[in-house]
Formats: sequence, C-alpha cells, structure tokens
Amino acid sequence: MNGSQRFFRLGMLFPLFLLVLTAIYTAAAFDIRTQFTGDGEIGPRTIPLLVAICMYMTLLVVIFQELRRPTEEDAGTGLSRPLLVVGATAAYILLFRPIGYSLSTLLFVLALFRIFEFKPRQPVQFILYAIAVTAVFYGLFAGIFGVRLPALIGGVI
Amino acid sequence: MEMFLTLSGGFAALADWKVLAFMISGFLIGTFFGAMPGLTSVLAIALLLPITYTIDVIPALVMCASIFMAGMYSGSITATTINIPGAPSSMMTAIEGNRLMKKGLGANALGHAALGSMIGGSVGALLLMAFMPLAAELSLLIRTPGKFSLVLFALVVIIIVDKQNIPKGMAATCLGIMLATVGIDVLQPIPRFSFGTETLIEGIDIMPLVIGAFAVSEVLIQAQNWSSSLGQNLSQAKGLKIRRRDFLPPLSEIREIGLFTYLRSALIGYGIGILPGAGGSMAGFVSYAVARSGSKKPEEYGKGSREGIAAAESANNSMCGGAFVPMLMFGIPGDPTTAIVLGVLVINGLQPGPRLLENQADLLAPMLASLFISALVLIPLTLYLFGPYFVRIVSIPKGLLYSSIAVVALVGSYVATYSIFQMFLALIFGVLAFVMRKQGYSTVSLLLGFILGPDLEQYLRRALSLNDGNPMIFLTSPDSLFFLGLTLFAVYMILFRKPKAGPDPI
Repeated sequence: MNGSQRFFRLGMLFPLFLLVLTAIYTAAAFDIRTQFTGDGEIGPRTIPLLVAICMYMTLLVVIFQELRRPTEEDAGTGLSRPLLVVGATAAYILLFRPIGYSLSTLLFVLALFRIFEFKPRQPVQFILYAIAVTAVFYGLFAGIFGVRLPALIGGVI
Repeated sequence: MEMFLTLSGGFAALADWKVLAFMISGFLIGTFFGAMPGLTSVLAIALLLPITYTIDVIPALVMCASIFMAGMYSGSITATTINIPGAPSSMMTAIEGNRLMKKGLGANALGHAALGSMIGGSVGALLLMAFMPLAAELSLLIRTPGKFSLVLFALVVIIIVDKQNIPKGMAATCLGIMLATVGIDVLQPIPRFSFGTETLIEGIDIMPLVIGAFAVSEVLIQAQNWSSSLGQNLSQAKGLKIRRRDFLPPLSEIREIGLFTYLRSALIGYGIGILPGAGGSMAGFVSYAVARSGSKKPEEYGKGSREGIAAAESANNSMCGGAFVPMLMFGIPGDPTTAIVLGVLVINGLQPGPRLLENQADLLAPMLASLFISALVLIPLTLYLFGPYFVRIVSIPKGLLYSSIAVVALVGSYVATYSIFQMFLALIFGVLAFVMRKQGYSTVSLLLGFILGPDLEQYLRRALSLNDGNPMIFLTSPDSLFFLGLTLFAVYMILFRKPKAGPDPI
C-alpha cells in the first residue's frame, strides 16, 4: 500500500477530522471573555484549553498507531446503505414540519423499508406495514403521551 | 427506620395501576431489547429518554429500573437458544447455555439463568437499599477536592477499562468533555463556543447525544452489516418444543450449585457495579472465572456448566443494584444504562448527591422497589409465561424493527423540545457515533465524558479557588488523596499487573 492510500482511509481521516475540530475549538477557546477572576481562580477558558491539549496529544498517538496499523480491514465495508439511511433521515427531518408527521413518517418508513429490503416483492404488505408503523407511533406519541405532532392541513393529518 | 418507611412507600407506589403498568411495560420492553441480538437495554432507555419529558418522574424511573433488570437477564435467552448473546453481559451464558441447549436441555439452562438472575438481581437491589444511607453518609465526607479526584478516578477507570484502545477511549472522553463545554460556563454567566448562534448558547442537551450515539448509530451499523445471518440458527431453534415445566430447575441441581455460589456471585456483581464504567460484562466474566476456579466440577465448564450459568447471571443482574450507588450518590454512572438514567434524573430536576436521598427519597424509593420486584417476581414469571415463545423474538424482521427504531428515535428527539434542531443534532451525533464505533472509539466514553466533564471542571475550579490556586490541596486533602491513590491502584491493577495463571482456556 502506498503512502497516499495509507493516509486516505477512515482510520486516518477520522482522527484528522477530530484534529480540525479541536483546532476550531482551540481558536474559539481563546475568544472566551473572562468576566472576573478571583485570587487563585482559573477562568472559563482554562479547562477547554487543557482538554484541547490533551486531545492533540491523544490524536497524535492515535494517528501514529494508525500509520503503523495494517490496512486490510477497511476493505469491503460498503457505506452505501448507511449513506442512504442518512440521506433519508435528513430528508425526513427537513420535511417533518412542512408536510406533517403522518406523510413525512410514511415516506420515511417506506424509504427505510426499501433500504432494509423489507417485503420488497409484496407491494401491498410493504405499504400496509408502513402505514401501520406510522399509525402505531402516532398512537404512542400523540395518543398515549399527548405529544403535539406537526400536521399537514389544519391538524387533520 | 425512616428509610424503611420510605422504602415501604416505594413498594406501595407500585400498587398504583399506572406506575405498575409502566413497570411491567418497561420490563417487557427490556426483555425484548435484551433478547434481540444487537439491541440492548441501553438503547431501550435511550429511546425512552424523550418520553420522560411527557410522563411523571416516578413512572419514568420505575420504567428505567425494570428495563435495566430485564435487559440484563434476557440477554441469556438468545445466548442459550441460538448461541448469540442478546446482551454483551451474557457472553458466559452463551458458552455454557448453548452447550446444554445442544444436549436438549435448553429450557433447563434458561431456568438456571432465570434463577441466577432472580437471586442476583434481588440481592443487588437489597444491598442497594440497605447501604444507600451508609453511602450517603460516606459521600458527605467528600469535600470539593475529593469530588474532583473522584470524578478523575471515574474518568480514568472508564478510559483504561478497554486496554486495547486507551488512546481512542481518551479521545472519545475528551470529545465528550469538549461537547459539554458548549454553552454557559459552569461558574460564570459567560457563553462558550456558541459561535455567534443563540441555539448553542443554551448548550448541547444530553438527549440528542444519547439518541444519536445509541439509537441512530445502531440503525446505521445495522444498515452497514445488513445480512440475514440469524436465519440458520433461528431455523434450528424454531423446531424446538419447550414445555413450561422444563424451565423449573430441579432442586438437586440448585443444591449442587449451592447458595454460596449465588451469593458470592451476587456480591461480586454488586461490587463491580459500583466501579465506574465496569458494567455487566465484566461482572459476569469475573464471577464466572471465580466460580470456575473454586468449582468442585471444573471439568464441566465449557461443556454446559449450570454453575457457570448461575454465577454469570447472578453477577450481571446484581450489578444493576451496584451501578446505582455511584450514580445516585455522586452522579457518576456505574455503566452506560445508569448514565442514561442519570439523564432522566437531571431532566426531571433531580440532582444526584447525598442530599438526594434526604430530600427526594420518596421519588427514588419506587425505582429501587421496581428493581427488586423486577428481579424477584417478573423474571421467573415472564420466563414461565412467555418462555416457549422467547426464541421467536429474533424472528421479527430486522427491516421492520430498525425502521421502527429510527422513527422512535427521531420523533423522540423532536418531542422533548419541539425542535427540528434537536432532530438534526441527533442525526449528526448518530453519524459521529457510527464512525466512532466502526473505528473502535467508545461511545460510552463519549457519553461519560459529556456527563462528567462539567463536574470535573466545576470541582477543579472551586477547589483551586477555595485554596488560593494551590494545587497541593489535592495531595493534602485526605479524601482527595484517597481517590488519587485509588486511581493509581486501578491503573496498576488494570494496566500493569500480570495476570496469575488462571484456569485452562475454554
């Protein structure tokens, strides 16, 4: 495995992502204004800075370990299905208020059924189960626990 | 006497049909999640967390306790029947129980697992009730520097428990502490890391973190590992005919195991439960190893030992009682489930600490009673009533199951604050936790860093402030010195001590 392949794998990219996150965090920590600091008192930015230092040191160890680690285990793990779930979930969250609980949840459940290959060759059961899941959780949240869920038209559906 | 009356009141509270209904439904949910491979009681309580916003604190806590106890016991069901532990704490039961299953003694193995769980769980709950006042008294002796060292001890133990991944555990804990610093400072009214947005000034709520880290990430993990690998084992198990009376272990076998084994295992489980971050898996394993080393029939271990099942199950259920002690007294959870129960307490305005027992014992007593009743009555009862159907739990289509979990998780994260932002946070934390889990970073460390971070900061700053910035206070204060010594001892025991020559590998 060449150097660039060794570098561009999740085991390396994730600590690098955390490193970037910590850099942003550190920069923001320096912006914290201290209102007052008594004798011997440490201010609101001290612990964030200490944690950031601890994080940098830990991430360096992790990155060093990752560089020495063989890389075969990253192979063959498909991310397409989790990405589809993330996409469906993001769409669900965006549609949740505009089109209401019932329709958005029904569409979300249908999407997940498809992703998880639930009843793919039985279209009637596929839809009936999705309606049932939507209705059951509506009953649980709105019926039993009295939660006000977003509705599409005047609180009808 | 006063404590006895309060606890009696706790049992009386369970007589209220509404509270009882929550306890029983919690038990059944816990049984389902514990028995289903891949699902755990942690996930069940995580999904319950948003619902606690809409129900009273007593039913919420009662439900949490019964989910915890049931989840710990029901892991043994699929461990025995299809050799896949429903919960990680049932690993040892899978080794012994499934051997008995293959000999046609599956119901007998389940009976022993239930009996062990019942004895261990009820002893753990009784110990919790008996020693809570003493623990509260002792905790009053711990002053601010000592509290800092105690939190530090908890964090260090949580990080080093997983010897293989200490740097990743540390990174996860630091990330948790970093997330916890978002919002208003713990001592001064100063916003931190709000990046100019009003939403972040309020800080990050525990709820989207829990939902994301435990529920959303689980759905993503299952999406990636999508396969029907259970099919073969399930078809073997489906053909079994189990009669209810087979679940009752013969008295001769119980005598052979001996009351001492049950009690010793329960004490081990309780003791391990008190340790931060240890959990049911460690309790089950240690107790199993101790039982094996002192057994009259060590040759049976690995071939279907009833004693091994009894030891492991007694310990992992007794752990439930132990794990509540540091959580209630110090706000330091003993395991991931109690970490989320801590969230339920905090959401309901209950602050863990010695004063909690003094001032709000009436709210806690039903939870303790629920832990005891769940172990003593509900475990044997559900095994007898539903035992023959238990194995079919795993036949529920995973597509239906995980779609339902996704809906509960996301709608749940909305109902707490009616906020779309919370739903997005749950998704973001879900993706983060998914990557973390795939890369061997502990999400439990992330959660505990998030929970304990503010305490660590607060006690450090207070201790220094009270002592003119002199850090020597941590070495001169006896309580602090005790916990720092305990931290060093834990580091030595876990990381550096060479294990003695143990029993032969299985």
